[in-house]
Amino acid sequence: MNYFSLAAKNLMRRRGRTILTVLGVAIAIAVLFSLLAFNSGYEKQLNGELGGLGIHMLAVPKGCPYEAASLIIHGGVIPKYLSGADLEQAKKIDGIEIASPMLLHQFFKDDKPHIVYGINIDEQKALKPWWKVEGRFFHDGEENVMVVGRNLADKENLKVGQVLDFGPDKVPTTIVGILERTGTQDDEFHYLPLLQTQKLFNKEGQITTIAIKAGDIAKIPEIAKKLEEIPDIQVVTMTQVMGTIMNLVGSAQALLFSVIIIALVISAVGIVNTLIMSVNERTREFGMMKAVGASGWDIGKLILIETLTITLVGCVIGLIVALAGSSLVENFVRGVIPYSPSGNLIAADPWLVGLCFAFALVLGIVCSMYPAVKSARLTPMEAMRSDIE
Amino acid sequence: MNTAVINITNLTKLYKRGSEEVHALKDVTMSIEQGEFLSIVGPSGSGKSTLLHMLGLLDTPTSGGIALNGHSTIDINQGRLAKIRRDNIGFVFQQFLLLPTLTVRENIELPLLFSKKNGKSERVTEIMGLLGLAHRAEHLPHQLSGGEMQRVSIGRALINEPKVILADEPTGNLDSATAEKIFELFRKLNNAGLSLVVVTHNVDLAKIAHRVIGLKDGTIAAN
Repeated sequence: MNYFSLAAKNLMRRRGRTILTVLGVAIAIAVLFSLLAFNSGYEKQLNGELGGLGIHMLAVPKGCPYEAASLIIHGGVIPKYLSGADLEQAKKIDGIEIASPMLLHQFFKDDKPHIVYGINIDEQKALKPWWKVEGRFFHDGEENVMVVGRNLADKENLKVGQVLDFGPDKVPTTIVGILERTGTQDDEFHYLPLLQTQKLFNKEGQITTIAIKAGDIAKIPEIAKKLEEIPDIQVVTMTQVMGTIMNLVGSAQALLFSVIIIALVISAVGIVNTLIMSVNERTREFGMMKAVGASGWDIGKLILIETLTITLVGCVIGLIVALAGSSLVENFVRGVIPYSPSGNLIAADPWLVGLCFAFALVLGIVCSMYPAVKSARLTPMEAMRSDIE
Repeated sequence: MNTAVINITNLTKLYKRGSEEVHALKDVTMSIEQGEFLSIVGPSGSGKSTLLHMLGLLDTPTSGGIALNGHSTIDINQGRLAKIRRDNIGFVFQQFLLLPTLTVRENIELPLLFSKKNGKSERVTEIMGLLGLAHRAEHLPHQLSGGEMQRVSIGRALINEPKVILADEPTGNLDSATAEKIFELFRKLNNAGLSLVVVTHNVDLAKIAHRVIGLKDGTIAAN
């Protein structure tokens, strides 16, 4: 017999209570792990997604930075435009490797928003060298052709060679290619030659944004400064976009973290309550143990081991549940967070597992402190008071 | 040469019950000699159990002295007292106080956990044989009769090879035939050289002891 087997037997004495307490810890750890894993995964995926844009900054019409961020990530329409003159000025700035104009247009089909990107394909291919296509890309001067993203093609059941009546004038437009899956928002859009898009939607000479790639990333601030000297232009760097999105997500994260804290506090209160009950029930036993030679430390140690068993077993169960149910958590989180990048949001890093174990350990030590010290301090007679005549 | 295992002198214990002061023990002086079998009798509230707890260093006196093997135990901290109890004194309780989730063997073994003398399994087997519990080794307390439970409790008291066993109403929860057997067992242990102090209501059984102390209102009324 040792302290561990004695603790295990004590815990099994009130099996139902022990199981419920372990479950309480498991839930708290599962929530803690899922949300921390989400937090770490989210930033990673967001970084990846912004990297996947292949650009360093966007020149957009002056306006709300949130709109610009949303434009970059979701695609979207800002009802303001830059002109060809703005583009020409931008292109003159030193250090810019690519300045690619884009016109974004949104229309609704069956109440679902569709985003159209009018692009210069050669520049886009230079910005996104990973783009591959089933079929072919269009040429910049070509008319009545388009390329669509993979997800869009799947959703709308679009095939290479298919002809769609496109735009307000129902111009028959042929799908010449479908982008291979990129795992980013690029999979969701229609891509048409810029000139055709401008014509199709009556936006001749107008562009929504200029995607800019710097030759040297060290020069980004300098380029941004020069771009902003052009009166119509506001520059949004990817770092700013990241910051803007993280700000938006911040409030949702605060909500999630308060959920974690509440779950943990409830769990801790539950453990302390269980321990105090269990210790009070066994006061006379502790008195007996002290009478047969147990020191205060022996009793404290027993209670500590019992508590740590509860919290560590709860931690293991919580982690298993969190890992098994990460997709459920991800769906839930996607529902409450204003913007979620595509890809796996839950990053189950080993250090997070370690952190959860460390947390369970601390939780166990903190929760056992009061009952352990209380029992350890009891004199044998106090513990067996009911024996006094 | 003093052969007393435990010596108490002018021991007084005062309890406060609300505003009232209760003298559980008043100026009691007595000793337990090596190899002695002593019974303490007296009506409820006479201070028998308090005296036993004092002898067992479970409680501290309001005044007076307690010496174990000639060494005073007054003003010793709880940690050291636990060690002294562990090495010298075995306790037997009226309610047995067995741990319900431990088997007979494990209950007897329990004090070894605290004395860090784990692994003395042959000693546990020997004690179970002595107490007629060998066939019950793997049973849980709820599967035992009252007499068997008390024998387990005695086994637990014996495991650390104490110099004296203190038993508080050990037969209080047992029928008379079983009670007699327990006293018989005590006599056997005493014959083997163990000192015993037994608090009991049962005057007939008390007479089996070498010496009977009668307590009344916290003082020794008969010796």
